Amino acid sequence: MNFQRAASRILSTSGVPIVIALVIVIIVFQIMSPVFLTSGSVRDYINNAIPILLLTVGVAIVIVGGGIDLSVGTVAGLSAGTTMWALVSGAPTWTAVAVGVATGLVFGLFNGLMITVFGINDFIVTLATLNIAGGLLIVLTEKVPLQGVSTPGFSDLVYGNFLGVPTGFWIAAIIFVLMQFLLIRTVFGRRIFAIGIAPGAANVAGVNVNRVRLGTFVISGLLAGAAGVLLASRLGAVQAFLGNGYEFVAIAGAVLGGVSLAGGRGSVWAAVAGGLMLATLQQGLRLNGVDPVYFSIVTGLCIVAGVVFDRRIQQLVLGGIRKRSKSGPTPPAPAKLQETHLLGTGKQD
Amino acid sequence: MTERPAPDADGFLLNVQGISKHYQGVTALDAVGLQVRPAEIHALLGGNGAGKSTLINILSGLTSPDSGTIMLSGNRLELRRPTDALGSGINTIHQELSLVPALTTLDNIFLGREVNARFLGLNVRLDRRHMEDRVRSLASEFGLTEEDLKLPVGEFGALKKRVVEIVKALAFDTRLLILDEPTSGLEEEERLNLFEHMRRLRGKGVSLIWVTHHLEELFGLADTATVFRDGRLVGTVEVPDTSVDDLLGMMFGIAAGEFGSTATAAVVTEAEESREEVLRLTDVNRSYILRDISLTVHKGEVLGIAGLAGAGRTELARAIMGIDKISSGTVHLKGKAVKFSDSSAAYQKGLAMLPEDRKQLGILPELSVSENISISSLDRVSWLGFVLKGRDEVSQAESYRQRLGIKTADVREKIRNLSGGNQQKAIVARCLNTNPDLLIFDEPTQGIDVSAKVEVHNLIREFVANGGAAIVIASEIGELVELSHRVIIMKKGRLVGSVDHVPHALVSGQFEAVKNRILAMSAGRTES
Amino acid sequence: METTSLKKNQTVVDRVVTRLLVDPTLGVLALLVLICLLAAFTLPVFLNGSNLYNLVNNSLVVMILAMGMTVVLVSGGIDLSIGTTMALCAGVSAAAMNFGLPLFAALLAALAMGALVGLGNGLLITRLGLPDFIATLAMLGFASGVLYIWTKGVPIIGYMVPEFYIIGGLTPLAGPLTLPMVIALLVALVLGGILGFTRMGTHFFAVGSSKTGAMQSGVRVDRVRMQAYIFSGLAAAVAGIIMAGRNTNVPADLGNGYEIQAIAAAVIGGAALSGGRGRILGAILGAITLAAAVNLINLVGVPSSYQKIVIGGILVAAVLANRISAIVSGKVRQRKAMVLEGIPA
Repeated sequence: MNFQRAASRILSTSGVPIVIALVIVIIVFQIMSPVFLTSGSVRDYINNAIPILLLTVGVAIVIVGGGIDLSVGTVAGLSAGTTMWALVSGAPTWTAVAVGVATGLVFGLFNGLMITVFGINDFIVTLATLNIAGGLLIVLTEKVPLQGVSTPGFSDLVYGNFLGVPTGFWIAAIIFVLMQFLLIRTVFGRRIFAIGIAPGAANVAGVNVNRVRLGTFVISGLLAGAAGVLLASRLGAVQAFLGNGYEFVAIAGAVLGGVSLAGGRGSVWAAVAGGLMLATLQQGLRLNGVDPVYFSIVTGLCIVAGVVFDRRIQQLVLGGIRKRSKSGPTPPAPAKLQETHLLGTGKQD
Repeated sequence: MTERPAPDADGFLLNVQGISKHYQGVTALDAVGLQVRPAEIHALLGGNGAGKSTLINILSGLTSPDSGTIMLSGNRLELRRPTDALGSGINTIHQELSLVPALTTLDNIFLGREVNARFLGLNVRLDRRHMEDRVRSLASEFGLTEEDLKLPVGEFGALKKRVVEIVKALAFDTRLLILDEPTSGLEEEERLNLFEHMRRLRGKGVSLIWVTHHLEELFGLADTATVFRDGRLVGTVEVPDTSVDDLLGMMFGIAAGEFGSTATAAVVTEAEESREEVLRLTDVNRSYILRDISLTVHKGEVLGIAGLAGAGRTELARAIMGIDKISSGTVHLKGKAVKFSDSSAAYQKGLAMLPEDRKQLGILPELSVSENISISSLDRVSWLGFVLKGRDEVSQAESYRQRLGIKTADVREKIRNLSGGNQQKAIVARCLNTNPDLLIFDEPTQGIDVSAKVEVHNLIREFVANGGAAIVIASEIGELVELSHRVIIMKKGRLVGSVDHVPHALVSGQFEAVKNRILAMSAGRTES
Repeated sequence: METTSLKKNQTVVDRVVTRLLVDPTLGVLALLVLICLLAAFTLPVFLNGSNLYNLVNNSLVVMILAMGMTVVLVSGGIDLSIGTTMALCAGVSAAAMNFGLPLFAALLAALAMGALVGLGNGLLITRLGLPDFIATLAMLGFASGVLYIWTKGVPIIGYMVPEFYIIGGLTPLAGPLTLPMVIALLVALVLGGILGFTRMGTHFFAVGSSKTGAMQSGVRVDRVRMQAYIFSGLAAAVAGIIMAGRNTNVPADLGNGYEIQAIAAAVIGGAALSGGRGRILGAILGAITLAAAVNLINLVGVPSSYQKIVIGGILVAAVLANRISAIVSGKVRQRKAMVLEGIPA
């Protein structure tokens, strides 16, 4: 009993399960292919993963606030496009960075305003903006060749070196620390949790739900913009379909990291660990000669696995050890947890 | 129609024994029993949290008990889902939510029990004409026209929805009909009409389990009453041999006669007339929900709001807090006109609210006790209103834990692990911590045990004694009378009356008289 | 006070506008007429018989998907995997032909695949408790991965027997009538019949409108939701078969972007994302309206690369309009309820 309690408490601590899983996966891959942990290999795959990790963090913050943002992938692609466009037009690095981030900001604001002002479902709005941003990038690539610039300093955003570590790492690390601080240690972060747990209750308690929700979408947009800038810097050229499908990987990473799709649970560093898990899986599969298209299937499975694991943990924590009646044909379906809550404890007399 | 339901060997139609149910570590029912004879009206009584709804959910197949047996006519029932209950002839009129707004009245009545006709050789087409024929006369008895049958239920008001629910339950062969607060929101006439139907059903041999909070309704109608308290069976009595006081005593664990005296003993001192005004509403309207509400609340005063379900009490509280928009009228706070676009503005201006339905709208279950307390006043535990000072937050919660007697080992414990009463105290702490001029308590003692109830009452009194102003909304009129200086009564979104100088009346021993007056006005009977 | 003044001031125009807003099918019809009128004055080419014919013909696939989507939306869900499922089913039918199976077996295989995907969605949602859009998004990723791995990125070809030209509508049945038109009509009759006149249809509405109410009435909510996804999977399979014929080859990305068109068409047709509201006729009109709008924009000279943006924009506009309609009908409903209860205004 005690052991089980302790175990469930540790496992329910945000981020612990994913880190354990990550370590196991890394060990397995290292055994399978000894080049896995060579410094060049690790550096490359993390470098490649950074833009998606940024998206993962943005999506995680939105999900903690009880929402969802499907547009982050194509918005990042479009931001990369606008960044390159600014560079091609002769803008200096910092202006181009600002253009890219601003692109993300505009989409974040648009998403947030449509959701909060008009009360439209977040996944429909962001599904629409996913298409709009993707379409804009197609149009942009047709108008301007988004490559072949050599603006000084731009590729240093990712490939530069500071204290022996690539600049891209530093930028990402700073953003992650800031976001984790924002989510866990600030008034705004607390309110994000509150609206994610119970928007109605948060509203009654004096939290301006719409303003906080708008904030989460703006953050997600800004991070998508930043991801786009880093993508452009790393790739040096932007294609029409850049960013398509990234939202899928980002959501999967967040969910794997234990960010609850029901809202109100999760942390930035756990989401980053989840994202790293996916990047590691991708790299490991690649090194072992698996066709990259399998990755999409793996990602889909990871979402399911993440959600199922999250439910199990919740059941453990909530029910202690729920007694199952012997005659019961099936264990209580997790989906019904909420319903039982509503019908049972939620409304006692 | 059906044969008369047969009793079992002991003469019972329904024999429930040893039913227990736990929710997430909380015991909702502790080995309770219930025996219903054929053709009787059996009242099921109990205060909030007594476990009545849980038992009803079990009998209607919505939840399964952890242990215990249910026998109907001597046959053991396994009620795993609602169809099992319906199939055994157990129909339930739930208190709320069992109609589907998008479907027509007819489709709602037959939902889950549709009648099919043949189409292309397959028995798949809904036979709406047949269904209509079957319920037409029953429906018209309850004032539902043929046109009503074809309208979506979502277009009806609360009243008509309840009528549809009743018709829905009566439309099928029923051996046992469970009615959970069937009269709430009904007019006097409709109430009597319903009682007539209940008698007629009993005459046909149907047994009824009837949950009600209005004890005076029982006499002359119910045959037997079973009382639950805190998830336990207190006892079963024959209604003709008992009295309201006896039943109250069983429900609340207080000996007969003592009930009234505890009430008067705890009377608050009346607010002086000269005290300054805190809140004034002038002709406040919210389309179709609130109509021309004008009221004032003074410093040091508790204003009680009475009314039946759906009278607009909670809606009024939400409108004052800026959660719902006001369509016309003005709100003055301490003499200044205010207009809140959302609740955060109301909190900043010195209002706070303890909501009804603690589980859905009160607690933030995933957050700790201390985080639940600080959520409305994060400025007080943060640096520049931005960076949280965790240690301050915990010590602040710790001081409330001691002051209000919140029972928890650690204020960093998640609030969902606390009992209902302690959760409620934490929410009171949350409100008090905003240092409000006016605090609105909406059903402050809903679903908490008797001792916690007394403590919450004392907190409200302490708050106004220290110069606060309070609005209390409560369905239990006795509670309202005990707490309030003045009581106003709402009906269908309007103010329909008020009772001033409540404490004076209590001191002169008029507790029951005041209660009955308020009850009469809430139900819409003219004031005598 | 307020209602009386409202009643008095309510002009005919007010009433018409309210009616259009409250009844989504009438609203979309009005929108369609408006688009046509607009086009008639500015672009005579639009009203050209062959343009209209092509327009309707091209909208059929989205129309069938939108009808399946409507069933899911009515029951309170959403199916983001519908486009990918369509492509997968197209691939199955093509591969089955290449494998040497007779035509009807190939078509059955495609339908079975559609039902299987729908069942998978339903299980993910009801058994594992995933939110609808996450479950179907995961299914989208999964199915498209399967399709890419299976085709190795090379379109499937070589299955185009003459019958497939008829199925795809490339060879007309009789005169201007094509088989996809007949199929769309059949799908509409079946799904419309189910929604309007069967127990299952009633249960779709019930579950979408109030899960608790449905459950208390003895409706098996999980099973009903599963059925809805199976129907959308089957609709995707039907659309996939037509697409296999029309496209004459099956590339892995055949279904990309179709989910958003299906959702947009269904929403234009008045299906509510919150469940419990939607009509097959609405989906049909919605698909035609969407096709007309896209066609019009093409005719104006906007390059086709803008199509994604346009459809995204239309989806936002449609949801907005839907939202406004819901608010207006809520007000009207409230007013009616008050009048019915005899509450003095």
